[in-house]
Amino acid sequence: MSTATSVIDRLRARIGIDGEPVTATVEAGHVRRFVEAIGDPNPRWRKEAPPTFLVAVAPVATHLAEAEEYGKGWLNGGNRFEYMVPVMIGDEITARGHIADVYEKEGGSGNLLFIIFETDYTNQRGDLVARVRGTMIRR
Amino acid sequence: MTEIAVGQDLPEQVKHPTTRQLVQYAGAQGDFYEIHYDQDYARSVGLPGVILHGLLKAAFLGQLVTDWLGDRGRLISFEVSYRGVDMPDHPYRCRGRVSKVDGDDVELEVWGEDDAGKRTTVGTAKVRMGVD
Repeated sequence: MSTATSVIDRLRARIGIDGEPVTATVEAGHVRRFVEAIGDPNPRWRKEAPPTFLVAVAPVATHLAEAEEYGKGWLNGGNRFEYMVPVMIGDEITARGHIADVYEKEGGSGNLLFIIFETDYTNQRGDLVARVRGTMIRR
Repeated sequence: MTEIAVGQDLPEQVKHPTTRQLVQYAGAQGDFYEIHYDQDYARSVGLPGVILHGLLKAAFLGQLVTDWLGDRGRLISFEVSYRGVDMPDHPYRCRGRVSKVDGDDVELEVWGEDDAGKRTTVGTAKVRMGVD
């Protein structure tokens, strides 16, 4: 378990430390491609971003190279979105994300490593528009 | 529109995801993890084949909620857990029901079922009625 232990220790050392912020504009064409991909023709999305679009603006759960030393693949365990302010087309969004927690659990076919990411999204006015939490699992 | 009450069902939506849609979604989200489009890679990590992105299933359930909500209110929070893998070329049935009503605050239970009726994605959404 020495490899696993050292991976977990290295990831734990990053808990709460924000990575480099990512800033991007919510582009009409990007939102259009996104709603076409999910198959949601609601005309509301010509002005506003649909509920899960923020994950496309900036990655909420960067596949951490060092976590990949553990297990052989990633699974997405879940996502939580909290919405404070609507995200409109043309908004300039900045994402700041960090690891919120890291823990190991015994699964049915071996151990699993859980990495919880949290990302805060702010707009061009500095308003916190949404907070997204993602549970990524190495198996 | 009738009064919202606990136990009401949301109009269900059935999605028909294809590998083409997974590629389209990978590009739109910017998630190029190979398990969503490369069959050999997916099998090499112990999966039965390429699988749907969890976040694509979340987007399906988001649409279930926002279509039901319309312009009557706003989504406050939305949480999903992925309990099983889903494959393209199998219908994905999105369902939900009102689980709590507290004045203008309404909670919904939402889930996605595979073609065997297994709930492979489960979640909750909170909405506030009467706000833009």
